[in-house]
Amino acid sequence: MIVDMYDVVIIGSGISGAAIANALARYQLRVAVFEKASDICGGASRSNSATVHSGHDATYGSLKAHYNVLGNAMYDKLCADLSVPFSRNGMILFATSEADKNEIARLKQNADQNGVPGVQVLDRASLLAIEGSFGEEVIGGLYAPSSGQVCPYSLVIALCEHAAENGVSFFLNTAVLQLEKQGEGYLIHTARGSVQTRFVFNCAGVYADEINNMISGNRFHITPRKGEHLILDKKLAPYVKATISQTPFDLPSGGHTKGMGIMPSVDGTIILGCNSCDVVDKEDTATSEEGISQIIRFFEENWRHLPIHSAVPSFPRHLIISAFAGLRPHPDTDDFIIGEAADAPGFYNMAGIESPGLTAAPAIAQELANAFAQQHHIPVNEAYCPTRTHKKAFRNMTAEEREQALASNPNYGHIVCRCEQVTRADVLQAIHSPIGARTVNAVKMRTRAGMGRCQGGFCCPEVVELLSKELDIPMSEVTMNGAGSEVIPYEIGSFETV
Amino acid sequence: MKKEYIDIAIIGGGCAGLSAALSAKQAGAARVVVFERAPELGGVLRQCIHNGFGIHRFGEDLTGTQYARRLVDQIRETDVQCLTSTIVLDLSAERVLIAMNEGGITEYNAKAVILATGCRERPRGALAIPGTRPAGIVSAGTAQRYLNLEGYLVGKRIIILGSGDIGLIMARQFVLEGAHVIAVAERLPYSSGLMRNIVQCLDDFDIPIFYRSTVTRIVGENRVEGVYLSEVDACNCPIPATERFIECDTLLLSVGLIPENELASQAGLALLPFTGGPVVDDSFQTGLDGIFCCGNALHVHDLVDFVSIESEIAGRMAAQYTQAPTHRDCEVVHVHDGPGVRGIVPQIIRRNAAETQVTLQFRPDTRYGACYIEVYEGETRIARAKHAVLTPGEMIEIKIPRAEIHADITVKVSTVFT
Repeated sequence: MIVDMYDVVIIGSGISGAAIANALARYQLRVAVFEKASDICGGASRSNSATVHSGHDATYGSLKAHYNVLGNAMYDKLCADLSVPFSRNGMILFATSEADKNEIARLKQNADQNGVPGVQVLDRASLLAIEGSFGEEVIGGLYAPSSGQVCPYSLVIALCEHAAENGVSFFLNTAVLQLEKQGEGYLIHTARGSVQTRFVFNCAGVYADEINNMISGNRFHITPRKGEHLILDKKLAPYVKATISQTPFDLPSGGHTKGMGIMPSVDGTIILGCNSCDVVDKEDTATSEEGISQIIRFFEENWRHLPIHSAVPSFPRHLIISAFAGLRPHPDTDDFIIGEAADAPGFYNMAGIESPGLTAAPAIAQELANAFAQQHHIPVNEAYCPTRTHKKAFRNMTAEEREQALASNPNYGHIVCRCEQVTRADVLQAIHSPIGARTVNAVKMRTRAGMGRCQGGFCCPEVVELLSKELDIPMSEVTMNGAGSEVIPYEIGSFETV
Repeated sequence: MKKEYIDIAIIGGGCAGLSAALSAKQAGAARVVVFERAPELGGVLRQCIHNGFGIHRFGEDLTGTQYARRLVDQIRETDVQCLTSTIVLDLSAERVLIAMNEGGITEYNAKAVILATGCRERPRGALAIPGTRPAGIVSAGTAQRYLNLEGYLVGKRIIILGSGDIGLIMARQFVLEGAHVIAVAERLPYSSGLMRNIVQCLDDFDIPIFYRSTVTRIVGENRVEGVYLSEVDACNCPIPATERFIECDTLLLSVGLIPENELASQAGLALLPFTGGPVVDDSFQTGLDGIFCCGNALHVHDLVDFVSIESEIAGRMAAQYTQAPTHRDCEVVHVHDGPGVRGIVPQIIRRNAAETQVTLQFRPDTRYGACYIEVYEGETRIARAKHAVLTPGEMIEIKIPRAEIHADITVKVSTVFT
């Protein structure tokens, strides 16, 4: 249950909430995280390009640039500590015109100012030395070797679970409805009752403006900016090494776009995207016909430039396995909003953390938590354990590890999801983890069951059965994604028959 | 790791695998092992409680479960070893399998392997239908499993996209269970399922089917609240002016089946674009020595009876191979898809094999009225069969005397009567 008093309440469990929860767990604090959805990591941190940006394109002097470069450098250790897969595969922006080359020269200068390591402007010959088979019209490019790919939701879940193992409490289905100043701290009214806290960290993503504006006169506004992506079958993994993107350009309608890219996910699938479109509804994660066609059209037209075209000559439309959209929290100020609100002592923002937010958040959280602890003289948590207790997924085990695991636990001998080789032991671990999976999608996020080419056709029934059994609830109450999304709502015989 | 040496490894314990195992045994194969990842044998037949199975193979109208039972009972009378709840994790070109179950991981070295891995349903993601991703988007076979094996219905107001056979069968069953099937939307101007299923599952239950229509958007936050249906033009593009909203709580997908050939790929076999299976000769041997493929893993069938018949040949041939693996040296000719023909099987014919007849199977690329199926060797027509109607929903078969075949042949559909 929610106890009546916390030192810190964090609102939101995306990359920002997860990173700050993890950073604050190092101090002697009673910390709670409130998440409105049925699982952690339900927003932008779940649905993005999964890229750990180098920082070559963030505007020099901005908070985005500062934390992007700092955050990028933290990723190797962070992911190793949490056993999250991370690959520093580098990013190449390819150029096909003089305008592209000029933009690349500008980006190189910007990258150097930002302190991004190793960025190079390449002519065609040196580009081909890195990735062998760019199309004939590609005349050069920008190479950012520190760019990487991570599984964003695996990282957020790992950060949260690690925080939970170190004493942070997580409350799901707990939307914050109202926030008021009370004495030294705040009173928070939630969908599941009210609670007092000394400090609040606002990590509410696209809702961060609403939370801030409840308590601070320094109002700001967040626009949900939709980005759509396609996922291609992992058959293509051998042909995509570096993340490859078109050179950013100015839109005829005004504004600037990072452009479309092809990203090899750490799980082997290929991500394509993304486009960008401002929307009004903060829950509008629907993909659109226009958006999907826009991505497909781009890759049909530009496929010939990409190294993959030498192995797969035309865009393999039949290998699309899924499409998704995410809402990036775009602040009107166009830069991260970080720190204590001037007119609301004890209320800290970590808001507007749009791209490169995934990369930057660990660095922001570390600086913010340390400054916060210093400001309020919080002693460190001596009991803090730096490593996470998490068993390796079966699909990532070597042959010897598999035999060993199976010898001690027969559940490793039963595959639930054949496409992603997820065993019953993996699913049980997800259900009984520190922030246990309670829904089919939560199992999917923790194990990849249902993310493969059959998209859950075969494994979903078994996942439903396991959730029902382990949580001791009827099969008809197991949901995809929280109340109202029951997978098999009706028992046979429920309806009147003719 | 434990090591075992066996004669024939059959991957998949559905209709194809069991039929192949039975005939391999009859043909004298010694140690035959069936690997089945589900806890029960029978494959998808276990969840097919409707009838229409067995007419060609057994001369009886059986349900899917009865058909499976019959095969399982026959298998039990043999010494074929059936390893259920056992998954094959890896297969090499040298016919070494890594199999796993709760008892451990074992390496099997087989003289012959039969890939009988069946097929899976095409999911929503492959169609890239725009909209949200709520609960209530289910493929037809998954809904069939929930209903017939678990006892649950996925919804009560249902739109079906695609007119594959499982979708049609489920339309009828949903109605029988008291749910409301609003309509079936099919992008093509004809069904991709069997004619008899259109009549018995839709027409007899007054379920409308909208041809040249598709789902253009899915609406609903937690659960499907409705879909937009649009008509499509000659290029299969939705016509915006025809878009209309239909309230429903379930979108059932019956949009095609894809052979499951992950193991075939691992072993190094290339897959053909139309069939989704590997190249085989008329003994169902693939390009890798001693590796055979049959059933829906080779090409998606319309009737289980033909899966049995095909797999029985594959089983017999695999048994012969284990006894004398020599027939690979024989002279072969190739079979090509001509106009109107998609995914002919087999693609290779052994000229001097013992069987006097060669059976070729394929699906037409579209619907045809009265027409001929013709087999040409160069300019010479060596076989011809007349058909009143051809539809992609039904597999077409043509038999040719082996003695007639001397060089590569092409099969085509001809609507010009000569």
